[in-house]
Parts: sequence; structure tokens; C-alpha cells
Amino acid sequence: MLEIKNLHAEVDGREILKGIDLRIGTGEVHAIMGPNGSGKSTLSNVLAGREGYEVTAGTIMYKGRNLLDLSPEERVWEGVFLAFQYPVEIPGVNNAYLLRAGVNAKRRHLGLPELDAMDFMQLVREKAQLVELDPSFLSRGVNEGFSGGEKKRNEIFQMAVLEPSLAILDETDSGLDIDALKIVAKGVNKLRSPERSMIMVTHYQRLLDYVRPDVVHVLADGRILKSGGPELAQELDRRGYDWVREEAAA
Amino acid sequence: MSTLIQEVRQRGERLFERHGIPHTRLEHWKYTDIRRAIEPWLAEKADVSPGSGYEALPTDDVAFQGIDGLDAYRIRVLDGRVIEIPEALPEGVIVQPLARLLADDEARAARILNADEQASLFNGLVALNTARAQDGVVITVEAGIELARPILIQHMGHAQAAHICHALELGAQAHAMVIEHYETPEQTAGFTNVVSRVQLGSGSSLVHVRLQQESSARMHIGRLDVCQQRDSLLKSHVITLGAQTSRLDLVVNLNEAGASCELNGLYLTAGRQHADHHTVIEHRAPYCRSREEYRGILDGRSRAVFNGRVVVHEGAVGTDSEQRNANLLLSDRAEIDTKPELEIYNDDVRCAHGATVGQLDEAQLFYMKARGLDDSQARELLTFAFADEVLVRLDVSAVRRHIERLSFDKLPYAGDFDAMSLGLEESA
Ligand SMILES: Nc1ncnc2c1ncn2[C@@H]1O[C@H](COP(=O)(O)OP(=O)(O)OP(=O)(O)O)[C@@H](O)[C@H]1O
Ligand SMILES: [Mg+2]
Repeated sequence: MLEIKNLHAEVDGREILKGIDLRIGTGEVHAIMGPNGSGKSTLSNVLAGREGYEVTAGTIMYKGRNLLDLSPEERVWEGVFLAFQYPVEIPGVNNAYLLRAGVNAKRRHLGLPELDAMDFMQLVREKAQLVELDPSFLSRGVNEGFSGGEKKRNEIFQMAVLEPSLAILDETDSGLDIDALKIVAKGVNKLRSPERSMIMVTHYQRLLDYVRPDVVHVLADGRILKSGGPELAQELDRRGYDWVREEAAA
Repeated sequence: MSTLIQEVRQRGERLFERHGIPHTRLEHWKYTDIRRAIEPWLAEKADVSPGSGYEALPTDDVAFQGIDGLDAYRIRVLDGRVIEIPEALPEGVIVQPLARLLADDEARAARILNADEQASLFNGLVALNTARAQDGVVITVEAGIELARPILIQHMGHAQAAHICHALELGAQAHAMVIEHYETPEQTAGFTNVVSRVQLGSGSSLVHVRLQQESSARMHIGRLDVCQQRDSLLKSHVITLGAQTSRLDLVVNLNEAGASCELNGLYLTAGRQHADHHTVIEHRAPYCRSREEYRGILDGRSRAVFNGRVVVHEGAVGTDSEQRNANLLLSDRAEIDTKPELEIYNDDVRCAHGATVGQLDEAQLFYMKARGLDDSQARELLTFAFADEVLVRLDVSAVRRHIERLSFDKLPYAGDFDAMSLGLEESA
């Protein structure tokens, strides 16, 4: 599904990613953990194609194509989805409208007929249930006045509607209380499928208790220092990151 | 003509001679030069003899567009003459053409026409209006009357000068909504000079919409004067889309305790349009509240001016005032001059103001692209949303939709308003 080789990327002329290698098979769920400022969101943004995140070396192949050739929206149409760490508020732009425009752009790209308003509303109502999102949120401005937890739930809801092949969840568990975390995790698990790969960026073991990853990576100082199974996350939770750094330096 | 009206007219002429056409050396006209463009429209000496106001005017070559789905009491004004008033009005609501008052009730007509020295100093064309306005709409809503349907004043004009003088009086506890709608056939030149004087009795409330979508070859000069008594409420919506050059002076006098006003404004300019809005809010009494938000979207080589002055007079304790002006520049050749002015003459006040000028927000654009929208679609939506934030405060949905559609069509994008609003309506 995704193959990243020796990826270097800069923001504002400062190198943040310093040679990332990462391979994610179809249907796999990978967790990326790592200290603050280590480059996790930078990697997410590079994958989503954000302006200002400049790739200076390396390659990213997605479904056998060079991902870096695609514009952000083309990536969405081809099945890449980023759930933002900090979803922006867009007052005045209606949630449902934004999503319908996105879904229909994707469908046009795939040569499918566009969804009319009725079909679309039926689809979103269904998906809203998945994350127990009150449908009244749909008629509000995008993330406008949403609580932190509501914003995160909205991200997962949008993912459910757009049905990506590769989902990148950047700290979707942060800022959630335990009930909200369970709801979000339940939603993510429902979206897990043999055709869908996921990258979950997280600081906490808790999420991984609910959504068991196939592989756990430690990203620090712009590199992946260690990879392992779910038990690695537990060890990180207990021991922190320093030992990984020391081990890598040794 | 009676001597009373004659005196008022002459006073207008004298004031106009003294102050003349505003020029750019005046502080409040620094960025708006109308002198050359206005010249041809001044030569024309209007006929100021009083008439019924209903004489036949050519109407076959102009089409009043109206507002779809709006159920309103309709008044039509063509070339500065009132040509239609509603046949049946509720008890306690009186609509008269000023032309008739000039013949029937000189004292009142004189009061309505009379330009004050201060207004003329600010804009000499107000005095010219006093000298030349032949007609206008005089609306009286008596105490305690609650008008369920809005009053719509439609303006249409040929390529000529129209001096129009409106008056609106709400008695105590009266409630009404009035829409001033200005349109002229595309490409025709001409000059509109309109003054509206509004009196709000105690406890009354008025929703006032001023939609200007005149031809982009026309000059539009307007003044809206509001005097508010105790606990009265004004909600004003100014939407400026049309005219080559437009200027609006909106002056609100919060004369008695507890009066409040909410001023919403939106100007969209393109090509070589020039739109100038000057607003003044006079806090003259204790515990008055004012809220003001004007937004502008400028494209092409257009230019806009916003000047918002708030004066808190001595004794106006407990004043609560907020003012904002936000501008979006879609082109690097467009230009905005914005200036909030705050004058405070006592301590016990809460005032906030701010002005911003910017481009579309990068983080918001990226978010939308990350949901599958292409660049132009994302820009279109975001720009429209910027405008819509002031339009959503307009409570009458037919009027809001009409204005949203006009605004959307004016934006330089290819999108389809119906497709977009479908999502809005259904999810609402
Ligand atoms: N737009 C930007 N401009 C300048 N510096 C940036 C920008 N985005 C990220 N950085 C810097 O890049 C580094 C990595 O940031 P990044 O957001 O990728 O970290 P992170 O691993 O996601 O951290 P966290 O766990 O706190 O979310 C930090 O030092 C950050 O300050
Ligand atoms: Mg991060």
C-alpha cells in the first residue's frame, strides 16, 4: 500500500524528517509513537501534501504510484485520508456541504455518478451513528464551536464517509475522555478492513488497547528508531523513550 | 409653492453653495473623489414643483426585479418619483409619497426635507438633496403596531439624476422591517442621491435592509440618519454590490438610555468599482449598546473605504460598543482603506474595535483540500463563507437568499449557488 524510502523533509528551511523508511502492507494498522516535536505530524502533513512541507530527498510510493506527484485533493480521491491533530474551524462553511463536495469530487474522479442530496444525507446519517455524532453537527460550520472531543469524532466521521484506503490518524485520541475514546476506537475498529491500511499517531497505550496495531514504530528526531509488535507500545508506556534513543545510538 | 417649503429649499441651496461637492482635501473624503464624475448630473435643474407623484413615467423600458419569495408591502420609486404604493395597509401604518406631503402638509414635509448643518458639512450633497428632492416615501408606523410583513421600497432609474428623500417614523413599541432596494438597468449611467431619515420611538424596533445593486456605471450617494429613543432597537444590514462609485454615510444617534443598534455591512467590489462606507455611532445616553461588523471582499482594481466612528459622549456611562471591519483582498491590485475611530469622553465604557485585511487562510484551504475539494472550489467556498458570516444575521430567509445569490454570483468563481445552497438547506 505505502512504501516510504529515505524520506527527508524540511519546514521553513529546517530539516525535520531525516531519513524515514516505512512500509505498510494492505490492511495493516501501524502505530507511530514518539516524543513531542519528533516529526510525527510533519510526516502526516507530507503524506497529505501540505504546502510548505518540502521533500528534499527520498520517495513515497502509494499503490505503486509516486504519491508526491499528486495534489492534496488528488490524494484524497485516490484514497488517502488525514485526520488532523488540530482540525481547523471554518466558520460559515457547512459541514455537510463540505463533505458532499468532497465525496462528489472523489466520485467524479472515479467515474461514479454524484450523490444527490437525499442519497448523501442518508449516507452521512448512517456514518454519523458509527461515531455517535449527533446529526445536528452536520448543519453547523466545519468544527465551529466544537469541543476538542467533538472535533476528533468529526474527523473519524469524515473518514467513514470518504472511505479511504490509507487513513492517517494524527493523535485522534488526544483530548478525549475515556468514553469518547471508546466511541472513537469503536468507530476505527469498524472501519478496519483487509483493504484499508491505517497509520495511527499516538502518545498513549490506551488507544492501542482498543485498536490493536500490527506494528508499532518509534519516531524520534526525524527517524524511525525502532519497530516492533504491540508489546513495544507497552514497553514505551512503562519506560519512556530514552532507552530507545540510547539503544539506537549504541 | 409655499414660502415654508421655499425657505427650506433655499436653505438647502445656500448650504450646498457653502459646502459644495465634497473634495479630497476633506478628512472624510480623502479617498473618494467624486467631483468629475458627478459634474454632468448637477447641471440638470430638477423640477421641484409639488405634484401628486403619480404622473405617468415611462416604465416599459425598465424592469423592477424584486426579491423572489418575499411577501412584502411593495412601494416603487422610479427616477426619484414614487409610482406605486400598497393599496391596503394594516391599521396604524401610513405610507405617503413626500410629493403629496409637499402639497398637503408643508410643515411636516419641511421637517423631513430639512438638512442640518452638521450633515451638510459632512457631505454637501445632503444639502443638495434638500434643495432638489421631489419625492420619497414617508412611512409612519403608529405606537404599538407590529408589522408582520416587511415593507419593500424598490428603486429603479434611467440615466439621470434622482434626488430622493425618505422618512420613517416608528412610534413607541412599534416593530417593522423596511428594505430599501436600489437597482438600475446594467450599463446605464446616472446619479442617485438619497437621504433616509429614521426616528425610532421608545421601545420600538426596526430591521432595516439597504441593498444597493445599481448599474456599475452609476454613482450612488446615500445617507441614512437614525435617531433612537429609549430602549429602541435598530438592526441594520447594508449590502453594497453595485454602482461605479458609491458612498454611504450611516449615522446612528443613540439619544436615550437603553437604545441599541446592530450594524451589519457587506461590500463586494470588482473591476474599477469604488465603495465608501462611513458610519458614525453617537452614544449620547447611558447604557446604550452598539455592535458593528462590516466585511468587504475586493477584487480586480477596485477600491473600498471603511471609516467607522464611535463617539461616547460625556455622561454616556455603561456604554457597550464593539466594532469590527474585516476585508478580504482577492487581487493584489485591489485596495482598502480602513479606519476605526474611537472618541471617548467618559470612563465607564466597554469599547472594542478592530480592522483586518487579509487573504484566505492557508490552514482552512488545506483542510478543505484534504477533504477532496480542488483549489478553486475551496477558495470559492471560503470566500462565500466570509461574506455569509454577516449575511446569516439577516433573519428573513427570502431576503437573505436573494442577497446570498447575488453575492455568490458576483464572486469570481464558476460554482453554482443552487448546488451549494442545496446542501445548506437540507442539512439545516
Ligand atoms: N509549520 C511549521 N513551521 C515551523 N516549524 C514547524 C512547523 N511544523 C512543525 N514544525 C517544527 O517541526 C518539528 C516537528 O513538529 P511535528 O509537529 O511534526 O512534531 P510531532 O511529532 O507531531 O509533535 P507532537 O507530538 O507535539 O504533535 C517541531 O520542532 C516543530 O516546531
Ligand atoms: Mg503532532
